[in-house]
Amino acid sequence: MRDSVSESMAEEEAEINLTPMLDVVFIMLIFFIVTAVFVKEPGILVDRPQAVTAEIPEGGSIFIAVSANNEYWIDQRSVDLAGLKPIVERMHRETPEGGVVIQADNEAQNEYVIAAMDLAKEVGIEEVTLAAVVP
Amino acid sequence: MKKHITNIRVENEENEINLTPMLDVVFIMLIFFIVTASFLREAGLDTNRPDQDQPVTTQDEEGAILVIVDETDDIWIDNRIIDPRAVRPNIQRLHAENPDRPVVVQVSASSRAETLVTVMDASRQADVYDISIAEAP
Repeated sequence: MRDSVSESMAEEEAEINLTPMLDVVFIMLIFFIVTAVFVKEPGILVDRPQAVTAEIPEGGSIFIAVSANNEYWIDQRSVDLAGLKPIVERMHRETPEGGVVIQADNEAQNEYVIAAMDLAKEVGIEEVTLAAVVP
Repeated sequence: MKKHITNIRVENEENEINLTPMLDVVFIMLIFFIVTASFLREAGLDTNRPDQDQPVTTQDEEGAILVIVDETDDIWIDNRIIDPRAVRPNIQRLHAENPDRPVVVQVSASSRAETLVTVMDASRQADVYDISIAEAP
C-alpha cells in the first residue's frame, strides 16, 4: 500500500509542465505570422538581365513580371496594364510596407517596364526594384 | 461523504487539458512560418523614377550625366555611340569631373530591358547610385 503511494508520486514528478514552453512557442508563432511577408510569385519564369551590383532589397513582396512578349504577369495571372493597377493596389493594402520588384525579361521593351514603374508610383509605392541576377 | 470526495477528484482530473496535441499543431505552424518567412528573395537594382508632375528640369539635365538608349539598343553618351562595356569607364570619367552629377538614363520605348539594366549596372559600378530613368519623348 505504501509502495503504491510513492509510485504514484514519482509518476507525477516525471510529468513535465508544458505550459511555459507553450507560451514561448506561441509568442514565436505570433511573431512569425506577423512578420511573414506573403510573397506571391508572378507565375512566369523570365530571363532576367545580369548585373554585378544587384542586391537583395529590404522588403519586396509585390512581384510584377514583364515577359519577353511584353505581357504583365502578377499573382499567377497574365493581365494588361489596366488590369494590373487594381491588383497592385490590393496587394499594397495587404502589405503596405512591401516594395515592388519588376522582373523584366531581357527582351521586354522598356516602355512596358517604365509603365509598370509609373503604376507602382501612382499606387504610392516608393521602393521599386528592377530584378537582375548576379552573374 | 466518501462519494462526495470522489466526485471532486474526478472533476479535477477532467479539468486538466492534455496540451500535447495542441503543442504539436503549434510547432508545425511555427516551423511552417519560419521556413516561408525568408523565402523568395529576389536580387535587383533600386530604381528612381522622377515624378510625373515634376519632370526633370532642363537645368537638371544639363547637370546630369545623360545616357541615351535608342530604339536599336545603342547607348549614347555625349553624342557618341558607346559600346556596352565602355559605359562604365565613360560614366567614371564624367563622375570624376564632377562627382555631384547624377545619371539620367533616357530610354526609348522600344529598347530592351537588358540594355537598361546594363546601363544602370555600369553606373552603379562607377559609384553613381543616383540613377533616374526617363522615357524618351
